[in-house]
Amino acid sequence: MVLGDLGKRLQGALRGLGQSGEVDDEAINAMLKELGNALIQSDVNIKLVVQLKKRVLKKIQAGDATAGANKKRLAQKAVFEELTALLDPGKEPFKPVKGRPNVIMFVGLQGAGKTTTCTKVAYHYARKKWKSCLVCADTFRAGAFDQLKQNAAKARIPFYGSYSESDPVVIAREGVERFKKEGYEIIIVDTSGRHMQEAALFEEMLQLNNAVNPDNIIFVMDGTIGQAAELQAAAFKAKVDVGGVIITKLDGHAKGGGALSAVAATHAPITFIGVGEHMTELEAFDAQRFVGKLLGMGDMRGLMEK
Amino acid sequence: LLGYFKNLASGTAQIDEVELQKVVNQTRDHLISKNVASDVAEDICVGIEQSLKGTRISNFSSVAAAVKDALKDQIEQILTPKRRINILRDIEAAKRAKKPYVITMVGVNGVGKSTNLAKIAFWLARNGHRIMIAAGDTFRSGAIEQLRTHTMNLCQNFEDEDIVALYDQGYEKDAANVARDAIQQARREERTVVLVDTAGRMQDNEPLMRALAKLVQMNQPDLILFVGEALVGNEAVDQLVKFNQALGNLSSSQEPRLIDGIVLTKFDTIDDKVGAAISMTHITGQPVIFVGVGQRYSDLRKLNTTAVVESLMR
Ligand SMILES: Nc1nc2c(ncn2[C@@H]2O[C@H](COP(=O)(O)OP(=O)(O)OP(=O)(O)O)[C@@H](O)[C@H]2O)c(=O)[nH]1
Ligand SMILES: Nc1nc2c(ncn2[C@@H]2O[C@H](COP(=O)(O)OP(=O)(O)OP(=O)(O)O)[C@@H](O)[C@H]2O)c(=O)[nH]1
Ligand SMILES: [Mg+2]
Ligand SMILES: [Mg+2]
Repeated sequence: MVLGDLGKRLQGALRGLGQSGEVDDEAINAMLKELGNALIQSDVNIKLVVQLKKRVLKKIQAGDATAGANKKRLAQKAVFEELTALLDPGKEPFKPVKGRPNVIMFVGLQGAGKTTTCTKVAYHYARKKWKSCLVCADTFRAGAFDQLKQNAAKARIPFYGSYSESDPVVIAREGVERFKKEGYEIIIVDTSGRHMQEAALFEEMLQLNNAVNPDNIIFVMDGTIGQAAELQAAAFKAKVDVGGVIITKLDGHAKGGGALSAVAATHAPITFIGVGEHMTELEAFDAQRFVGKLLGMGDMRGLMEK
Repeated sequence: LLGYFKNLASGTAQIDEVELQKVVNQTRDHLISKNVASDVAEDICVGIEQSLKGTRISNFSSVAAAVKDALKDQIEQILTPKRRINILRDIEAAKRAKKPYVITMVGVNGVGKSTNLAKIAFWLARNGHRIMIAAGDTFRSGAIEQLRTHTMNLCQNFEDEDIVALYDQGYEKDAANVARDAIQQARREERTVVLVDTAGRMQDNEPLMRALAKLVQMNQPDLILFVGEALVGNEAVDQLVKFNQALGNLSSSQEPRLIDGIVLTKFDTIDDKVGAAISMTHITGQPVIFVGVGQRYSDLRKLNTTAVVESLMR
């Protein structure tokens, strides 16, 4: 399972509370320490971890004042809520509307998985009978258009791109206009990889944004990224209006915590996760269900309502 | 009390262990914030503690300063290669033996294998070598066209319009065979170097790791370069351990080939969060041979140890 290691350790930390019989301060401290270590080893931003530990402790202490509170349950609930808060910015993800064009632009660091994920998402909607298509606005990376073309052909998704035009803004504008005219509903624009240290690349992203005026911008992030995640995510958000995050490469061993920290930086919800190289290896993401699973608490929603 | 005065007289005192513990803990967090993998940060901190426990420090210097010095020593030690690899010299040796020198790039998905392979080709071509690129990624869409574009672009920089050539057999072919045939072709064309690109793969993906072990065993490259991005966090450790394990265990050879060196890519995207350089070298004991600092062919550097230490200490 995604983040399986983290889940096991978090569950262990919470179980540790129960074993010591009475839940005293020492047990709480041990739990918090283990919680912190587990998150840090999963690449969650270290500042966020410190904040999260403080908040959990505060909640436990506040709840403790109420007589008769079950401290272990209190701790579980606090951990669940804070982890969920980390993952869930409390914003509804963008919902495309049928019968009109929905332009979705993909942005992110080099090699994060944008092009692959573009096809996966287009395919996801195509299977649900949306008219979807792809526009390749990456004229920089060698072979970028061929990559998108071959992916699109495999998925039987119409695509637009050019071998000769070198300005991605021109291609993006033309492609989106054409597909709009043709009545497409999901128009996905793939862009080159870029990073905050290179201003010209960020400027280009802004120009692309202005040219196609997207209904949603998806920030694609590699699940193996470490402590630089927050920095980059925040910079993307500062330049364009990121509305959703997709975390890739969560198949295998990837811990994903660095990418999770991107949610805090962008205040945008995670909508999907990538779990493989193939077209169908995309999973919808729901923060609450995910954290519940992570902590081995299937029905946390029930607990929350009490 | 007498002891106290003695210490004053000599100007030193036994290091305060409580204070030491505190500073070491802060150091650990600091290293982690610089993107050193947490296990590696822990190893470094244990090293610092061991080197300082029970030692005497001058009354005028602080525990923090002593820890800082010890940290610097540790990092320099980790970053200083135990073995030097001189690719240009080794190519000359292969040339005398009438064999092309074979470099294989391996690593997980999207880290920059193909791009940095092209950068290495550029560097070698500038050193007068004629190069064959083997299109060993027969899986990912556009992988072959990506290399073809690089090959064409690279050649435009040189008088010899055929200085870099691409060997491919199309998609879905066995990469081990592609590499083998590319090496043969390079011999026929009297090329001095073969650069073998491989598909990205997750370290836990057994079938793909097995295929990589087969490619290595069949072709016995002179140099296996692990490509890792400077952005990677704690996964760096697992990636390197498992790539080496796969090359070791999934090979039927008595003396299997392991990773010889590291290409650290996307170094231009991390500011001062340089920790991955420490994690990767600490785990493998192998040197960082190239650092990728951008997307142009000339964006390839040697690791600047002093700069890494400075970024880390900041
Ligand atoms: N294992 C795995 N690999 C993935 C996943 N998503 C993408 N990849 C791989 O990651 C590599 C990079 O993916 P791309 O889609 O080319 O990334 P990109 O962001 O478009 O790259 P640039 O355009 O160069 O910035 C490819 O080898 C993909 O097959 C995933 O969820 N799991
Ligand atoms: N900023 C920066 N980008 C880099 C660097 N090296 C590679 N890239 C970019 O990273 C992206 C992925 O590079 P590739 O060479 O395709 O990566 P790969 O490992 O071959 O990917 P797969 O074959 O799909 O596994 C491309 O957009 C490259 O331009 C670097 O040193 N700095
Ligand atoms: Mg791309
Ligand atoms: Mg490649």
